[in-house]
Order: sequence, then structure tokens, then C-alpha cells
Amino acid sequence: MLAFIQVLTSGIAIGCVYGLVALSFVLIYKATETVSFMQGDLLMVGAFAALGLHLGAGWPLWLAAALAVAFVGVLGAGLERTVLRRAIGQPHLVAVLLTFGLGMMMRGSVASLPAAAQEVHRLPFAADTYAIGPLVLAASHVWVVVATVVLAAALAAFFRYTRAGLALRACSEDARVAALMGVPVARMHTLAWSLGAALAAVAGLLLAPVTFIHLNMGLIALKAFPAAVLGGLTSLPGALLAGIFLGVAEAVAGLLLPEGAKDVVPYALLMSALLLFPNGLGAGLRRGGAR
Amino acid sequence: MSGLRTAWRHLWPWALILALAVPAMGADYALGKATLVITYAIAGLGVVIVVGQAGQIALGQAALVALGAYVQAVLVGHGLAPLLAMPLAIAAGALGGALASLPARRLGGLYFGMSTLAFALIVEEVLARWDSVTQGAAGMAVAGFSVFGWRADATLAQALVSLGALAAALLLCARLVDSRHGRAWRAVRDDEVAAAACGVSPAAAKMQAFVVGGALSGLAGALYAHWIGFISPEQFGLVFSFELLMLAFIGGARRLGGALWGALVIVAIPQLIAVLRDHLPGDWARAAGLELVLFGAVIVAVVLLRPSGIAGARP
Repeated sequence: MLAFIQVLTSGIAIGCVYGLVALSFVLIYKATETVSFMQGDLLMVGAFAALGLHLGAGWPLWLAAALAVAFVGVLGAGLERTVLRRAIGQPHLVAVLLTFGLGMMMRGSVASLPAAAQEVHRLPFAADTYAIGPLVLAASHVWVVVATVVLAAALAAFFRYTRAGLALRACSEDARVAALMGVPVARMHTLAWSLGAALAAVAGLLLAPVTFIHLNMGLIALKAFPAAVLGGLTSLPGALLAGIFLGVAEAVAGLLLPEGAKDVVPYALLMSALLLFPNGLGAGLRRGGAR
Repeated sequence: MSGLRTAWRHLWPWALILALAVPAMGADYALGKATLVITYAIAGLGVVIVVGQAGQIALGQAALVALGAYVQAVLVGHGLAPLLAMPLAIAAGALGGALASLPARRLGGLYFGMSTLAFALIVEEVLARWDSVTQGAAGMAVAGFSVFGWRADATLAQALVSLGALAAALLLCARLVDSRHGRAWRAVRDDEVAAAACGVSPAAAKMQAFVVGGALSGLAGALYAHWIGFISPEQFGLVFSFELLMLAFIGGARRLGGALWGALVIVAIPQLIAVLRDHLPGDWARAAGLELVLFGAVIVAVVLLRPSGIAGARP
């Protein structure tokens, strides 16, 4: 039983990271109708930026982390202004290929830095543990969960109480009507990409103590896509909850199923969910509740 | 007579490219690359059918190529003649395509694209874990292609076998695209609701497109396994899927001939990058990431500058 709870907590922690990446994906998709295949690469860039500022330039960790997130946010905005803006209104495939290409360029750029390539790095986070009775929790896992809750609350407040948040919501509801009401739609698209990129960078920082920092850490985004789709692609809380659900399901599968089955679980769940609930779990539940 | 003339109009650029490539790179090397271009083009035809004709987002086409390659490799490894194994490899690809298209019965667009991605990741994981059959992540060696004791070891023989397969595939696709099925695919691509109102079943049309695309992928995979001689699950990962998508996109996904042009570009890019690296000054040109950066830049540039592809730009 104790082992089960132990596995459950680590599943929730990794699920929070899935959820945050899925959240960033859905945020961009909702606001701009474009699909981003580079969230994993933004995550990796964010982690490496913090690493470089902290270990390379010697800045304190909190400042390095904050600057890394800001840098990736600006990067997202810049890419939207220069390249991704052209994908708006085009078939999904255009955005898919564009963001995949941009992601490759980011991965290649980081790999070109001799100091970054080919190695696993670690940020000097405390590697200690908290003990609650017989239960032992890794500090990094606790941090991930706490940070996710804080971020989710901050985002909810942003979308509910600020002008920019309301304008962004109006944009994703109906861009034309929003434009008629005086919302600067183009600027909102930039804001959405910037927020989405920054969110991915935060996920990268939270992931850093769990899996450490390496070139392929962005592959975790491949598990965030199923989460985003399970959540219904347009629901922010849905994406977060689906991410946590997938993290837990994966952890439990790792405990119960034979070796190797764990990595397939998110995709198998996604396929079966798509076959059974074509509009996402959230829509399935809502429809069930309305009946 | 006019048929000959059209054929010539399509063929002369290729004859010219080959005539230039043979003295420039050496006959063996040029023919080896030509084989690769043709094999990519066969897989690319599958993507053109699924993406260009039926208008679906297919993010996991490499998994269908992998199915063909692995079925061929395993069967030939157990002593079956390559020519007899090939229909089974094609069938495996087609069956994989049918399976991958199951969610299309209820979904469209992006949701379905994501489900093909999930399908591909499952296939890759199974191939890497099923040690007893596929030898897992270590990969497996594949014997050369042979028919009745004649072995296609020479690069010329390999190029000719591939060319024969491509010609058959092109002929079949041209017939299909002009048939009732092709019209159904394009109707579904342009408007699913309108297509359904006209008595075209979108679910059936999508599945047919995936079965044809899967069969072509399976054929390409079987040939690829023989030509490369060694396959492992990671060769057929997400990057290969995107290479195939890009291939169809570069060539122009709406035309069958686009697959060949796209394949030429995809095979040529690494060569060009290698040449470029030798001529760039400084140490950073040797860095491992440069290839990725340039490849990504090519994708972005093509999508931004030639959205309808090379073949698609012509009227």
C-alpha cells in the first residue's frame, strides 16, 4: 500500500509537468488555431537558458530561472511576429511543419554549443526528501506540485480578472467579434504564443530536478499531446487534469504491468479515448451530465 | 503518340539529373542515391494519397513503413523468398493503415492527426520491445534482394528493381486517383458534410486512402530494408514521419509527381549540408547541431516561400 502511494505521488508530479506542457499547447491552439509541435523544444531551451545563466554566468538560481522564463517568452513572441503569424488561417499541416522545423532549429542550436551537447546536466536544487510518517516524498516532486497549483491559480486569475486575460478569452471565443469590440487580435496572438512559450519553459525548470537537463528532455512533449487531446484540445483545466491523469496512469502501469508497457500507456489510453469519446473526455462528461 | 510525348515531358528532367549526377558523383554512388530517392518516392506517394488527396493529417506514416520493413525482414530472415514476402509486407502496411484510420470513423482533422501520432509511437515501442521477433532496439540485419537465385547486389540492379516498383505504384495511383475512389477522396478533402450528402461515406473514403497509403508505405519499407540491409526501430521515428510529410509538402501534395520531386529534395538535403559544412569557415561548422538547424531552416523556408510545393506551383 505504501509503495502504491509512493508511486502515486511521483505519478502526480510527472503528470503535473505533462499537464503544464499540455496547458501551453492548448493555450496557443485556443487563441490562434495553430498547432505547436515545438513546445518540447521551448521547454528544453528554457531549462538550458537557466542552466547557462546560473552555472555559466554565475547568477543566483531564482534570477536565472526568472530570466530564462522571460527569455523563452520573448522568443515565443518573436517567432510569432516573424514566422508563425503566417500560419494563421492556413491548414493545420502548415503550422505543424513550421513549428516542427523551428523546434529542430532550436534543438540544433543548443546541440551546437559544445558545453551543452551530449551531456546530462543538473541544476543544484536540493535533493532532499520530506518524510510524512512512513511516507517519503522527494522535494523536487513536492515542488512540482506546489508550483503547478500556484501557476494554475495565477492563470485562472489572469483569465478571469485582467483585461488582457479577458481579451485573450474573447479572441479564442470568436476572433472577428473580438476585433469588432476593439480587441487587438494580432497582439493577442503574440501574447498567446509568448505565454505558451513561457509556460513550457516553466515546465522545463520544474522537470529539471526530476529528469535532469539534456538535449532530448523535450520528448516529454510527446506525452503532453495525448493529455491535450484527452482534455478536449480547447479546455485549459481539462488539459491540466488529463496530464495529471496520464502521469498517474503511467506510474500505476509501471507498477502493475510488465516492463516497457508503461511508455505505451498514454498513447493506448488516447487511442481508446478517441474511439469511445471523440470529443474529448471533458465533452463526454459534460454531455453525460446534461442528460 | 501523345502518350509517349507526355511520358517524355515528365521523364526528361529525370534523365538530365541522372546524366549530370553520374559523372559528378560516380556511377555507383549516383545509382545508390537514385535507389534511395525512388524508395522514398514510393513512401511519399502514400503520403500524397492520404494527405494530398484525402486531406487527412497523417503524423505517423513512418510506422507503416516500419511495419513493411519489419515484416519483410522477419520473413526473409526465416527463409522466405523476398518476392513472396513482399506481398505480405505490403499487406502488413495496408492493415496498419486500416488500423490507424479506425478513429477517423468518428473524428476529423487534428484529433485524428493526433491519433495517427499515438499509433506510430505505439508501433515504435512494440518494435523496440518485442525482442524475440524484432531483436529489439539493437536492430536486425536484412539479406539482399534476390529472385530465383538472381541477386540484386549491384546498385544498377537495385535501382531498376525500385524503378519497376515505383512505376507500378505510380500507374496504380494514377488509375485510383482518376477513379470513383479518387473522386471520393477529393470530395472528403474539400468538404466532408457535402461529400456525405452526395452519398460518399467519409469514413470509408478515409479508410481506403489509408489502406492504399499503408500498402505503398509497406512496399517502400520492404525495399528500404533490403537496400539499407539493417533496420532498427529508431530509423522509423517521428523525424522520418515528418520527413515524409515534408516530402509530400515540398513536392506539392496535390500531384502524384510531387512525391518524386520531394524525395529528390529530401535525399539531396543531407548531401548539400555535407558540402556546405566543408566550405564554411571556423570550428562551429563542425558542430553536431548544424545539420538539424539547416534541416529545420529548409522546412521553414519551404513552407513559407513555396506553400504549394515545387510540382504544385506549375499550372
